[in-house]
Amino acid sequence: MQGLLDGVRVLDLSDERGILCGRILSDLGADVVRVEPPGGSPVRRRGAHLGGSPDPERSVEWLAYAAGSRGITLDPTRPRGREILDRLCERADLLVETLDPSALAAARLDWPTLSARHPRLVVCSITPFGRSGPFAGLRGSDLTVTAMGGNMALTGDEDRAPLRCTMPSSHWHGAAEAATGSLVALFARETTGRGQHVDVSLQACVVGTIMTGASQWWLDRRDRPRSGALYVVGATRQREVWPCRDGFVSYGLRGGPARVPGLVAIAGWMAESGVEAPAWRRDWKAYNHVDLSQDEVDELAEPLQRFFAARTMRELFDGAVARGIMLAPVNDSREISASEQLAARDFFADVADPGRGISVRIPARFARATDADMDVRGPAPRIGEHNAQVYGEIGVGADELAALAREGVA
Amino acid sequence: MSVGAAFAGVKVLEFGGGAAGPIAVRHLADHGATVIRVESRERPDFLRLLAQSARNRDLDAAPFFTMLNCNKLSVALNLNDPRGIALAHRLVDWCDVLAENFAPRAMRKWGLDWESLSARRPDLVMVSTCLMGQTGPRRDYPGFGGQGSAISGFNFLTGWPDREAVGQHGTITDSLAPRFSAAAVVAALLRRRRTGQGCHLDVAQTETAAYALSGWMLEWTGDGVVVGRDGNRSRFASPHGAFPCRGEDRWCTIACHDDEDWRRLVDEMGSPAWAADENFSTLAGRKASEDELEARIAQWTRGFDRDELFRRLQAAGLDAGVVETCADLHEDPQLRHRGHFVPLRHAVIGEHPVERLGYELSDTPAAIELPGPRLGEHGDRVWREILGLPDDEIETLAREGVLR
Repeated sequence: MQGLLDGVRVLDLSDERGILCGRILSDLGADVVRVEPPGGSPVRRRGAHLGGSPDPERSVEWLAYAAGSRGITLDPTRPRGREILDRLCERADLLVETLDPSALAAARLDWPTLSARHPRLVVCSITPFGRSGPFAGLRGSDLTVTAMGGNMALTGDEDRAPLRCTMPSSHWHGAAEAATGSLVALFARETTGRGQHVDVSLQACVVGTIMTGASQWWLDRRDRPRSGALYVVGATRQREVWPCRDGFVSYGLRGGPARVPGLVAIAGWMAESGVEAPAWRRDWKAYNHVDLSQDEVDELAEPLQRFFAARTMRELFDGAVARGIMLAPVNDSREISASEQLAARDFFADVADPGRGISVRIPARFARATDADMDVRGPAPRIGEHNAQVYGEIGVGADELAALAREGVA
Repeated sequence: MSVGAAFAGVKVLEFGGGAAGPIAVRHLADHGATVIRVESRERPDFLRLLAQSARNRDLDAAPFFTMLNCNKLSVALNLNDPRGIALAHRLVDWCDVLAENFAPRAMRKWGLDWESLSARRPDLVMVSTCLMGQTGPRRDYPGFGGQGSAISGFNFLTGWPDREAVGQHGTITDSLAPRFSAAAVVAALLRRRRTGQGCHLDVAQTETAAYALSGWMLEWTGDGVVVGRDGNRSRFASPHGAFPCRGEDRWCTIACHDDEDWRRLVDEMGSPAWAADENFSTLAGRKASEDELEARIAQWTRGFDRDELFRRLQAAGLDAGVVETCADLHEDPQLRHRGHFVPLRHAVIGEHPVERLGYELSDTPAAIELPGPRLGEHGDRVWREILGLPDDEIETLAREGVLR
C-alpha cells in the first residue's frame, strides 16, 4: 500500500526540535532526506545512547525519530554545498529547518533567499520563538520555552519551583504542529502554485498546552496557583492523581454532569467491595463539581483514597473499564510496552536495522488509515548512508562525491 | 472563510465534543474551511456545561468551549429521532471531511461509521479521534484528557521524584493529539485532491502521545531502562532548572548545555569562589553536586528582577527564560508581535481573546473571524441555505423536537 504523501519530497535540516516532524511525514509516505553536517547531526551526540557509550550510531533520539528517513551529509555553509542544496531544493516540496540565526545566515537558508530561488518550495522553520519579533534569535531549550509559554507556572507544587516534563514535550508539540502547518502550506500550493514560509514558534505551541487558560485569565484576571496532584476548581482543590498500592491512578471529580455516571458506578463498586461508600449524600443528578465546598470535596475524597490505596493500578483499571468509570493508571514505559490494547493494535514495530546489526522496538505509527500505509518505513539512516543514492539523483557521480567528501562538503 | 485561504471551499462536518477533536478541526477552520458542528441540546458537549453552576444553566456561557470552537457554525440536531439521523446523513453528503471523537459505538448506532458511509462516499475523508482508537479490547473506554495523560506516560514523567506523578498542566493528550490528527487529515486531503480517494483515519489520542515518547519507549525496549521524572533536571545539562528571583513566586530558568555555557554563567555570576571548584567544571561534576549547585545559583538569582536577569543572561548567550504566568503571556512582547491573542466578541461572554495556532503562514495566513457558536446558532443558515429545506419543513422539525 502507498502512503498518503506518496511522491512528496522533504529535506530535513532540523535538530531535536524538529526530529519528530520528519518521522511523522515519513510515516505518512513522504520521502524524507535528513541533511546532516559532515560527521553527523549534533542530535546523535546529545541525549541518551543505547548501551550507554556515546556512539553517534546508537543515539536514542536518532534511532527512534529519524527512523524511516534517508540520510545524507552536506555542509550548506560551503559554497559548493549550498549549490548542491539548491539542486536538492529544485526537486523538493518542503524544507524543514531549526537553524540558529548565525547558521541560517551562513547558509543563506533564510526564507527570502529560498523563496526567490525556489518559488514552489515550502519552508518550515521551527524555532523557540518564531523567525521574527523581539525574541527571534534568542536561545530557547525545552525548559525555556515551556516556562515562557506559560505551562511551567501552572505545573508542580506550590511549595516548590514550577515544573517542566522530564522529557522535552515542547519539541513534540512543535514538531507535530510543524508537520500540520507544512501540509496546510502544501495544500494551499495546489491552488496558488507557490510555496510559503511556515513559521513555528515553540513558545506559541506551549501556550496551546494550557488549553485556553491564558485566554480565560483575560476574563477574570486571576492567576491560578500550581496545584500538583490536585486541581483548582473555584476556591477548592480537587484531587486528580491518587496513590494506589503499586503506583498512581488518575481520577477526577471535575467534568461536571458528565462525571455523574462514573461517580454512581464507583460508589457502587466500593459498596460491593465492602468499602464504605462516600458518606456524602446528595442528589447525584444535581452533582456538579463546581458547586462543591472544600469540605464536600474532602468528604468525597477520603473513602476514595482508602479504596484506591488497597488496590493495584491493574485492578483499578480493569474494574474501571468494566464499569465505565473514567479512571486510568499512571503508566511508565514498561507498562505501556506491555499494554494489551496497544498489542491488539500492533502499535509497536520491531524495525530491523541490518546496517547496525540491531533491531529496535519503537511505536510503528501515530495513526492508521484505510487504504494507506502509515507505518514506520525502516531504520534511521547511518551517517551518510544514502549519499551515493541521493547525490546520484541530482547527477553527482561517485568520483565527484568522493571529491566533495575529501573537501569536507559531503 | 476568506477567499484565497488554504481550505477555501473545503466543507467539514464535526461531531463530538471536548477538546481533542475540536482543536484538530481548528487547523481547517482557521484556514478557510466551512465547519458545521452537529450538537445536541439533550446531550450537550460537556465543555458547554463547564461554566454551569446551581445558578447558571446557560449552555452558551462557557468560555472554554467558546474559545476552542471559534470559526465554526453550530446546528442542534436530535439524533434519537430518525429524522435527525436522516438530516445528519444529508450533511455528510454535503461535506468533504467528517470529524468525530465519540467512543466508537456512537457513530455505528447512527449509521455514520466509515463502513456504512464509504460505499456511497468513497471520496470522504473521515477522522475518528477517541482516546484509545477504533479497535482493540479497550476501544470503548471513555476517558478525558487527564486519563489520556496518565495512560500514555506523560503523568509519570512530570513531577518531583519524591512526590506524585502530577503530569503537565492542561491534559497533554488534548493539546498534543490534535496536532497529529490535523496532520493526518491534511495529508488525506492532499491525496484526495490528487486522486479523488478518501479514507478513514483512526487516531487514538493515547497513541499519538506514546508515539511522541518513542525515545523514552526505546530506552525501555532497547536497554531496559525506565527513565523517571526528575523535577526540572536533565541527564544531559546542568544546571537545568527554575530559580527564584526577587518578589513572590517569580522565577527564571537557566540551562547550561555544555561546559562553555557553564563558564559564561560563572562570568555572569561574577566568578564567585565556590564556582571555581574544579568539580563544577564538568557536566559529571555538576551532576554529582547538583543540590549544592542549585542552592548556590538560587542564592544569586534571588537578588535579581526576573526579567532583567533573563535579558542579561540571554545577552551573554545563555539559554535562559522567565516563568511566565497567564497574566505575563498577555504582556509578552514576542506573543504580541505574533498577534497570538485575537480579540473577539461573543453574544453571551462579551469581549474575549482566542489563541492562534502555533505556526504562521506567510502567504495564506490564518484568519479568526467568528466567535465560538451558540448552540444551534446557525440552524437557519444550514437548514435553509446549505440543505435547502423548505420553511414549513424546518418549522415542523423544530416543533417536533428534531432540531434541538
